[in-house]
Amino acid sequence: MVFSSLLFLFLYLPFVLLIYYVTPRKFRNLFLFVVNLIFYGWGEPVFVLLMMFSTVVDYVHGYFIDKYRSNKKLAKSLVISSAVINLSLLGFFKYAGFIADTLNILPFLNIPKLTIPLPIGISFYTFQTMSYSIDVYRGDAPVQKNIISFGTYVALFPQLIAGPIVRYKDVAYQLDHRRETLDQFTHGVKVFLVGLAKKVLIANQMGLLWDSIRNSGEANGILGSWVGIIAYSFQIYFDFSGYSDMACGLGNMLGFEFLKNFDYPYISKTITEFWRRWHISLGTWFREYVYIPLGGNRKGVPRQIVNLIIVWFLTGLWHGAAMNFILWGLYFGAILIIEKIFLGKILAKLPSWVSHVYSLFIIILGWVLFYFEDMGALFAYLGNMFSLSNGLIGSSALYYTLAYLPLLIAAAVASTPLMTNIYNKLKEKRLMWLVETVLCAVVLFVCTASLVNQSYNPFLYFRF
Amino acid sequence: MKKIKKYAPAIVFVLFIFSMGIAFLALPKKAYSTSEKRYLASFPKLTSESFLSGQFGTEFEKYLSDHMTGRNFFVGLNAYANLFQGLNGVSGKYLCSDGYIINQPLNANDNRLDENTEIIKSFADSVDVPVTMTLVPSTGYIMSDKLPANHLTYKDDEYFAQMESALKDSKVNFVNLLEPFQQYAANGDQLYYKTDHHWTSLGAYRAYTLICESLGITPVSEDRYEIEVYSDFYGTTYSGSAYWFNEPDNIELWVNPQNTEENITVQITEGQETKESHSLFYKEHLSEDDKYPVYLDGNQPFVRITNTNAPEGKLIVIKDSFAHCLVPFLADNYSEIVMVDMRYYKGSVSELIKTEEADRVLIAYGIDNLATDTDLVWLK
Repeated sequence: MVFSSLLFLFLYLPFVLLIYYVTPRKFRNLFLFVVNLIFYGWGEPVFVLLMMFSTVVDYVHGYFIDKYRSNKKLAKSLVISSAVINLSLLGFFKYAGFIADTLNILPFLNIPKLTIPLPIGISFYTFQTMSYSIDVYRGDAPVQKNIISFGTYVALFPQLIAGPIVRYKDVAYQLDHRRETLDQFTHGVKVFLVGLAKKVLIANQMGLLWDSIRNSGEANGILGSWVGIIAYSFQIYFDFSGYSDMACGLGNMLGFEFLKNFDYPYISKTITEFWRRWHISLGTWFREYVYIPLGGNRKGVPRQIVNLIIVWFLTGLWHGAAMNFILWGLYFGAILIIEKIFLGKILAKLPSWVSHVYSLFIIILGWVLFYFEDMGALFAYLGNMFSLSNGLIGSSALYYTLAYLPLLIAAAVASTPLMTNIYNKLKEKRLMWLVETVLCAVVLFVCTASLVNQSYNPFLYFRF
Repeated sequence: MKKIKKYAPAIVFVLFIFSMGIAFLALPKKAYSTSEKRYLASFPKLTSESFLSGQFGTEFEKYLSDHMTGRNFFVGLNAYANLFQGLNGVSGKYLCSDGYIINQPLNANDNRLDENTEIIKSFADSVDVPVTMTLVPSTGYIMSDKLPANHLTYKDDEYFAQMESALKDSKVNFVNLLEPFQQYAANGDQLYYKTDHHWTSLGAYRAYTLICESLGITPVSEDRYEIEVYSDFYGTTYSGSAYWFNEPDNIELWVNPQNTEENITVQITEGQETKESHSLFYKEHLSEDDKYPVYLDGNQPFVRITNTNAPEGKLIVIKDSFAHCLVPFLADNYSEIVMVDMRYYKGSVSELIKTEEADRVLIAYGIDNLATDTDLVWLK
């Protein structure tokens, strides 16, 4: 199930909210546990079993790690076992096909094509369950003896399928001691609607623009190609951060507080800063559970560079099982290393607009790598972005650019903190509550309209 | 009061999602959507198999969105919200001046004009009777002064020139409507509907006179017709675009008083069944929103029209729906017309010409339809 669907908004969510709040507090986790499974299993009921398996494995590991804490060796082998099981699940379901394809490059190998369906959210929940075992082992989080509470954490529907990756230690206390309030609920509604608007009103439209332009290839000209990839840059940011906002908002409605996952990444002045603002929960996860355990920056510069390369290789791979994602990760890894060694110091001295242009250029170029899984198409698109031989802008690209111009501008403004700052300044004003409420209603109606419209397909004998 | 103000967004949100959900559960469901002209999804079957495969879930979501309360309201709201953002044309249709809703030009990726022209050429070579072809220009090209300032380019001039040169040395006699139509439109003729992608009776009549001229036969003169006007025609571009505030069209029936039940017979054959009537117009469709099927009962695989008063011989028409409005005029000249729709008719047309002992073939399509047609491969 996805948040931006009629099913979620008008059947699932009202049902969950109603029953959740009439249920006595001590059964609320149990209720959440059950509805999480409905949420997850809606599209692919079979994979619920996989998620439950992962839950039980880490519950048991956590339990025994805590019990045999004094036996260092045993505790350590338990945490390793947890990581191995989780990574094997991820490896099998997400990467087996890719690994087989890659190995087939070797002439003497001929592995048959593997088609394993990717269970939704597996990249997110395996990382979450792993964080639990590791946190318990390190003593960063208390053991969770109640398997229902633990299961609720693993499958918590707000962040289940698209993050943020909530570390166990960040919600450990909330799981059993949260107190829902109306203030928090109202805040959650607002955050959720902001996310919904980002996803439905901006990301989806930018996706249409990107599709319309991408399909014309060379005919777009150099400017048209840039407009296309800029539209994709907006699509991916508003889609992903919209989901994270919706997740945080829903969490609030149920009494949870999640850490923020995006912090206006496109206003960054360096790529280092960009990665502190983009998908923060993933960056944090890799730092805490990979980079720092590898030694981070404490073992000298050469070792640090090796560590960075490992982390960014894995970050790329996490995003998808294909060569271009690895390339994308290493691309950012390389730039981060360059910034660490010398570029960062130079950028700091330059006027800030130069750093902004530099960062956006690198980021946007990155999205080309991210989008095209097919290397031929990737380089063809890059070629169009830097070649004047196809003209400035094609007529159809010009049409789409002009049509979407107001939205492109709105998206650019919404990528900066400007609106939030204005809101914070005005929110104590007398009639602000009314403005806010009207805006919420408008977002609800227009988003619903857009979602209903997706299924409106008149059968009109267009051709006859 | 202060508290209500503080929590107002949450109150609005909760009220909205609950009332939408309850309305969906409680209200009766419609089986058919008149604006979409299709049957809405029915409640999916729940079996352990359909549940486990996820099929039930997918179908249930279809059912839900098909039966969402206020569906037409929301679809319209979406159309106008897009317009408000400057997005005129995302539904594939432009909202134009004077109440026109016009389809976007055809997508270059779907253009099969070259292939289809070749098919028609070799078909004409293979048969012994003369072949005439006419194509209806797109509304967007002819009515370009109504289009919004920012729009994709209509390339009818290119397409018609391409057809003209490809057919120059072939056996196909091409009646080019492009320039005459521009002239007529400039003189104020309404050749196209505002809420539908088809041409009007006037447009079809103009084409009829041009075809007659090219064939050397005499068209019925304009003043001989008694024109019946019916209002409230909401066509396909209207329902597809959801610009609900646009005004409906009038639809005209050009009735030749000399045609009566005595001399006119229309036989429509679908599969093994043939139904017969004695009028060129099927007035039962005038009670529907989309009234265009009033001409020869809309899309049919095989139609035979006989007029015992007509002077000329037998004509075979290979066509799309644009011809439905044109053929009633031709029925005044040809004693027998056989209309085949290549979408449904998979028999050999050259065989048909022989068995029917036809005198002539007319191919009549809208340009966008011909350029995207994939059924002409059956033309043998």
